[in-house]
Amino acid sequence: MTRLYLRHQTALSALASFAVIILVWQLAVDLGYVKAFFVSTPTRIAAEFMRQLQTGELAANVSVSLFEFVVGLALAVAAGGALGVLASWSRTFEHVLEPFIWFKYSSPTIAFYPIFVAWLGLGEPTIIAIAFLFAVTPIYANTLSGIKHADPDLVRAAQSFGARRRDVFLKIALPGSAPLLIAGLRLAVGRALTGVVAAELFGATAGLGFSIAYYGQKLRTTEMMTSLVVVILLGVVLTQLLASLEARVDFWRTGPGR
Amino acid sequence: MGQIEIRGLSIDYRKPKSDETFTAVENVSLSIEKGSFVTIVGSSGCGKSTLLMAIAGLIPRARGSIQVDGKEVSKPGPDRAMVFQDASLLPWRSVHANVRFGLELQRWTRDDIDERAMRYVRMVGLGAFADYHPHQLSGGMRQRVNIARALAVDPDVLLMDEPFGALDAQTREVMGDELLRIWERDKKTAIFVTHAIDEAIFLGDRVVVMGRNPGHIRDVVDIDLPRPRTAVMLDSPAFVAYRKRLREYIAADMQSLQMVEDVV
Repeated sequence: MTRLYLRHQTALSALASFAVIILVWQLAVDLGYVKAFFVSTPTRIAAEFMRQLQTGELAANVSVSLFEFVVGLALAVAAGGALGVLASWSRTFEHVLEPFIWFKYSSPTIAFYPIFVAWLGLGEPTIIAIAFLFAVTPIYANTLSGIKHADPDLVRAAQSFGARRRDVFLKIALPGSAPLLIAGLRLAVGRALTGVVAAELFGATAGLGFSIAYYGQKLRTTEMMTSLVVVILLGVVLTQLLASLEARVDFWRTGPGR
Repeated sequence: MGQIEIRGLSIDYRKPKSDETFTAVENVSLSIEKGSFVTIVGSSGCGKSTLLMAIAGLIPRARGSIQVDGKEVSKPGPDRAMVFQDASLLPWRSVHANVRFGLELQRWTRDDIDERAMRYVRMVGLGAFADYHPHQLSGGMRQRVNIARALAVDPDVLLMDEPFGALDAQTREVMGDELLRIWERDKKTAIFVTHAIDEAIFLGDRVVVMGRNPGHIRDVVDIDLPRPRTAVMLDSPAFVAYRKRLREYIAADMQSLQMVEDVV
């Protein structure tokens, strides 16, 4: 029992603190210390979650947000990946891109929102553009650094067998940077979701961010917090998916027996 | 005339971040017979690895010529294959796929490439480990893969750069025996760089002794020991005499280095 406890200590501690918060939250409202209007309660949120599940409201919001998320992320992977590869091939190109990457890193991305509204109008295209902008930098940076820092020993070994530039790229640089590419993707997934929800808060007709803003304005705390919980769950699921993918791709660096 | 003819070879290195160059290898001439096993021994910094890289075609030369089978070496070619010291296996590829790697790069036809790679995996005794990845193997096993990868492309000349340098003494001896066993099957020309004197004598038909500042050949010693070589020979009077002679060269080289450092 003790050994079992030790092995899962972190998970158990996390679960315990989570349970305590849920309980305190529920009791604080039920015993009348805090008004449900401000914080709702876990039971109300659970009931609302079931209601939204049955009416299809949940599925509708999730599918809209997920669509924007996937398109924005895909564009970011395509553009960030392509730019990263090009920059790894040409130092000049890397230097040309550098100031933009630098601006992008040092400015809050959401500040670009009004420009996209002016260009693309309110709604889906703008939300996708913001998600793209949120996600593109880690993809670019990790692709560039992964390919640029291909192991020189492996490159030399490949060259001794007559490898051409294309071989070095396809057989050494690309597979060698896979762990870094997946790590970039994991960062991008979190950021794209942030971008979607943030942009939906400002101007959308559906989606989880819209739902949060809509119920928030109507002061319907329980409904609003239900959507918030769904956003958090979505983020956790997506990040976990990427983490398991990362472990699979990275087996040769973290694998057992080393 | 040997299969490999090196004449008046000099190699310059550009110092990093400056226009200065220094000479790593100066005026080396060497003739290597087809089918012979030549070892190159010398203290670190004597240019022995540099010389090997130049024969492989991986670094440019300043002066002189290197010819293999009458053809001037300018870049790596399928007639030569290299075994590196360590860390040159692709960590994401299995043993079998690593041995395949050289065949892929040299554009062998697809049909027999898997089978051929497997044959060489078995030849180095790793048949049961074909699906393992490098991080699951011991240092000695990794070097077996390295050797299999080089032999699989059927080179005329096998170049080895301190392949057992990172291994412990016992594994090193076993690998030396194993290497000779494989080499004696078809006696490809082999050039083996090492800093271990015993290893150089045990493996070689000839030992090339190099000295430093700049790298040059001090002597070429013919090793007149019968083949197959066995561990018993390590204590034979002839072996001991070779060892003594080579040690003196290396010791003199270390001493000259000491003097240089004292002056500086």
